Amino acid sequence: MTQPRVVERFKKRTIWFHWIHTVAFLVLVVTGAILFFPGIGGAAAGGVTRSIHRIAVVFFVGAPVIYSVLNPRMALHFVKETLTWGIEDIDYIEAAPLYYFGGPEENMPPQGHVNSGQKMWQFVVLATGVLFFLSGLIMWFFKDTAPAGLFQWSVIVHDVAFLLAFLMLLVHIYTGTIHPRMTESLRSMWDGKVSVKYAKNHYGKWYEEISKGEGEE
Amino acid sequence: MLLQPPASALARESQTQEGVAMLVDVTKCISCWWCYAACKNYNRLPETIKPDPEQPPPLSPEVWTTLKPVKIADEWHSRKQACNHCTNAVCVKVCPTGALSYNDLGFVQYDKDKCSGCGYCAEFCPFGVPQMESNKVSGVAVMDKCTFCIDRVTGGEQPACAAACPTGAIKFGKRSELVKEGQERVAALQNSNANAAFYGDKEMGGLHVMYVLDDAPEVYGLPVDPEEPPAALVRDVLRWVGIGAAAAIIVGFGLNYIVFREAKMVNELPGAEYIRKREENNKK
Repeated sequence: MTQPRVVERFKKRTIWFHWIHTVAFLVLVVTGAILFFPGIGGAAAGGVTRSIHRIAVVFFVGAPVIYSVLNPRMALHFVKETLTWGIEDIDYIEAAPLYYFGGPEENMPPQGHVNSGQKMWQFVVLATGVLFFLSGLIMWFFKDTAPAGLFQWSVIVHDVAFLLAFLMLLVHIYTGTIHPRMTESLRSMWDGKVSVKYAKNHYGKWYEEISKGEGEE
Repeated sequence: MLLQPPASALARESQTQEGVAMLVDVTKCISCWWCYAACKNYNRLPETIKPDPEQPPPLSPEVWTTLKPVKIADEWHSRKQACNHCTNAVCVKVCPTGALSYNDLGFVQYDKDKCSGCGYCAEFCPFGVPQMESNKVSGVAVMDKCTFCIDRVTGGEQPACAAACPTGAIKFGKRSELVKEGQERVAALQNSNANAAFYGDKEMGGLHVMYVLDDAPEVYGLPVDPEEPPAALVRDVLRWVGIGAAAAIIVGFGLNYIVFREAKMVNELPGAEYIRKREENNKK
């Protein structure tokens, strides 16, 4: 057998970036969401959680900035991939409900490096990242100088971005780790590799592209 | 409890009716600044020298009450400015930690130990009352405002500013009685001055600091029909949308998981049957 049993899906630096960003986001979620619930809001008393929120932001914003500076091509590719939508994405989304409830695998249109669902998540991460950043900037640095209305709506934008990002995070966690079909998704974000079989089944178009270079099939 | 229901509207109604209040009469104010000095002195806030009337200090964490100078027909008037202690206080509503709350006597009290320094109260208050100075980097801040001299009032005394006022321009008492008295005073003023107005009876569900004015409220820097900022309401809605959507998603995933496991990728799902037939037709 000349065919390798596994293929590389993510580079080490991407995996590092993913998990640093994840931890930072989870810290931000916890220190931010407590402000939503009067019953547990007391945890924010004294402002300690607000300071932790600001420390986590340094990682949340710093990680993608450093990653993009060190890997401009990969970052650009990520943005391009995220913003490129076509007719195959509609096919995927139409076929997805049945697929996720156990429908036949062959029915799914072959996917590129990421499927349309993952692309949707990437889009939410990108879009809410911008919203979080801008509204947070106003609340952090322009609290005393910004007009009250601008501050109030920054709070709302921050809240809406949180809702979108958090709800999609639930979807991301479920489809990435719990869903019975995504057997190698978590592993690929750990050691960067998936089996050839998994790659063929889940990302057929991508597998064809990468295996072409090696002169196979 | 994770999600406390808002303070019972009925209870707030009775607090407003039976609670305490202050009546500020600008026609009796002589701009002596004793209320300011008494507030600083009693609440141990630094710097109690008499301020320059032409450059009066704005509200700040160290200035809980001040005088707002107003020039009407070449004559200077002053309006005492401090927390108005709303019945429907936006600050209480938006405070995430429960630091701001309603006192049984009707006014708005706060617990500095619970304050996180988020600044929502300062930014959402329609009167711009709560004040804080925050550290730009760390965000550390604590809100301050008029306390209604809670310890004096609950101990049966009147607030320091009202006690110090030499002309009776600040009157402390039962709110229902002060509403009556304020309306009577304004009615008397209106005999010679059609612009005279009573402010605070209905605003924000009823203020616990009400004003007898010899001119329109906006002249004295009081907003006409102050409202809860729409953003505060949006925030309330978002909370429930978020909880509902998160619950729906989690339940949905639970069902998805169970269905998937039960079906074991079999073709007994209704859709699968349809697709198989379609593909068979395609082959033909």
